[in-house]
Amino acid sequence: MRIYLLLASLIENQKMIQKKKTKEGFFLREEKTAWIFILPLILYFFSLMIYPFINGIFISLTRKLVGFPPIFVGLGNYIDLLHDWVFHRVVRNSFIYTFGAVSIKLGLGMIMALSLSRGVRGLRFFRGFFLLPWITPTVVAGLIWVWIFQGEVGFLNITLMSLKIIKEQIPWLAVPNLALFAVIVANVWRGFPFFGVSLLAGMQSIPDEYYEAAKIDGASAAQRFFHITLPLIRPVIMVCSLISIVRTFNDFNLVWIMTRGGPARSTHIFATYTYETGFLSFQWGRAMAISIYITPLLIVAIILLSRYLLKER
Amino acid sequence: MQRFSYNIKKWEKIYRYAVLFLMLFIVLFPYYWIVVTSFKTLEQISSAKNIFIPNPFTLKNYYHLIKDTHFPIWFKNSLSVAVTTVAITLLLSNLAAYSIGRIKFRGKRLIATLILVFYLFPPTVIFIPLYLMLNKVNLTNHLAGVMLIYPTITLAFSTWFLISFYQSIPTELEESAMIDGATRFQAFRKIILPLTLPAQTAAAIFSFSWCWDEFLYALVFLQDVEKQTMNIGVYEFSLADIYPWGLLMSAGVLMSVPVIILYVFVQKYMIRGLTAGAVKE
Repeated sequence: MRIYLLLASLIENQKMIQKKKTKEGFFLREEKTAWIFILPLILYFFSLMIYPFINGIFISLTRKLVGFPPIFVGLGNYIDLLHDWVFHRVVRNSFIYTFGAVSIKLGLGMIMALSLSRGVRGLRFFRGFFLLPWITPTVVAGLIWVWIFQGEVGFLNITLMSLKIIKEQIPWLAVPNLALFAVIVANVWRGFPFFGVSLLAGMQSIPDEYYEAAKIDGASAAQRFFHITLPLIRPVIMVCSLISIVRTFNDFNLVWIMTRGGPARSTHIFATYTYETGFLSFQWGRAMAISIYITPLLIVAIILLSRYLLKER
Repeated sequence: MQRFSYNIKKWEKIYRYAVLFLMLFIVLFPYYWIVVTSFKTLEQISSAKNIFIPNPFTLKNYYHLIKDTHFPIWFKNSLSVAVTTVAITLLLSNLAAYSIGRIKFRGKRLIATLILVFYLFPPTVIFIPLYLMLNKVNLTNHLAGVMLIYPTITLAFSTWFLISFYQSIPTELEESAMIDGATRFQAFRKIILPLTLPAQTAAAIFSFSWCWDEFLYALVFLQDVEKQTMNIGVYEFSLADIYPWGLLMSAGVLMSVPVIILYVFVQKYMIRGLTAGAVKE
């Protein structure tokens, strides 16, 4: 690191002189190079993300039966969905799942970050283990929680029974509200370390002097938290929460692996219902309409996030 | 200057460690449970007594998984898809990140915004049209199709992540090399690339672990049993009338091991990557 900084400063002068001479031509050539380098990425994104997305909007305006060409139905699929009770449940479930899981993840993440932040030994030890769920494949995470919540010989029921907390086994994944709860638990387990580690990094970037000064002025721990820590890590909180909201709202994997939207559609969320409508009933138009209903929320999240993330660029 | 010492009270310290160890238990317990179950016999799995230690200890689940199922093929499929995706990702994202991080040009901000949009773009919204598109060109039910699609989940992040590293290297370094007669590529290869090597490794491992984890596209695109990836194959075990827990948990262990090993080696960079953008360095 030091060597290249030194190098850079040594050649600075010489380069400045030459740069003045070549600047004009250099800059134009640079601009062209820049675009040539970016082009493959842009082409890729346009052909495999933007184009399918636009295509998807068109599909959502059609209805197609097997063996017939698609018929244009305008907003028919969107209007139908407004009268579909399952879709109502999907909207409700998605919001409970997203905001339930994200708020618990934020809360636990905050507790984790505060506990680790200043004056505790073994930071690396704890942080290292805390991130394990985040890298574990979703299939493994989902199945292990199904196994823990299993009705007859699942760990949770065995333990609760032996501790005499419950008298009868609870079929966690077979009761609508409990199933949604179980899926949220699995999501929280997998996601809270992300919050914890990010918030911790935010807290570590706050200079010690702030706390020192506040302490000298007699600020209590709570005051230090609300007047120093919280305002300074607000951007981190916002960014993590927004990313997590987008990811959780669009989640498919964990829910599909654990419940497939059941029992009685009590855990169906946007993505699982889209999949079911598309790939199990082959109603492509309707399925696309379901997923396009997500986009307003997505746009809001992206606008908010870009405010935080693009500041410095 | 003397470092500010944290005079935290004793009870606060105890309280904090209690919280941390409780969290550690919650985080680690499921792993213990996976491993223990994977070494149990079917009889013990379906009993509610003596649940904490496998007794008798058996490797039957693993044996069964490797000998009697397609697991080894799925593992190989997952590996080849992930490696190919990582290669494509590194190539495209480096080109773009280099350009955005090191060259001044008009429209840069727009490109940066677009990358952010793609980063958040959920597969949920495009998996159906993508499926219909690939179906038309007969790329569904082919690993090649999945390899083509997977960079949609890795590229944006990888580019975003690498930009900040490219920005952190002073431009004078390569400009001087170029003025001395090196081509841009030579300057990149000799000077810039070695400096970004840690970041490249981290981007590669992030991309790898996402491919390793990917479920939706594989579920949609790959139907034949010997063309599936590990995630789908193992998930489909769970569609049986009775969950084969021993088999599922031994598969779970074998699926987690590669990413955990990678993680141990690059933990430091993983943390930087996790917080990329969220925290100013």
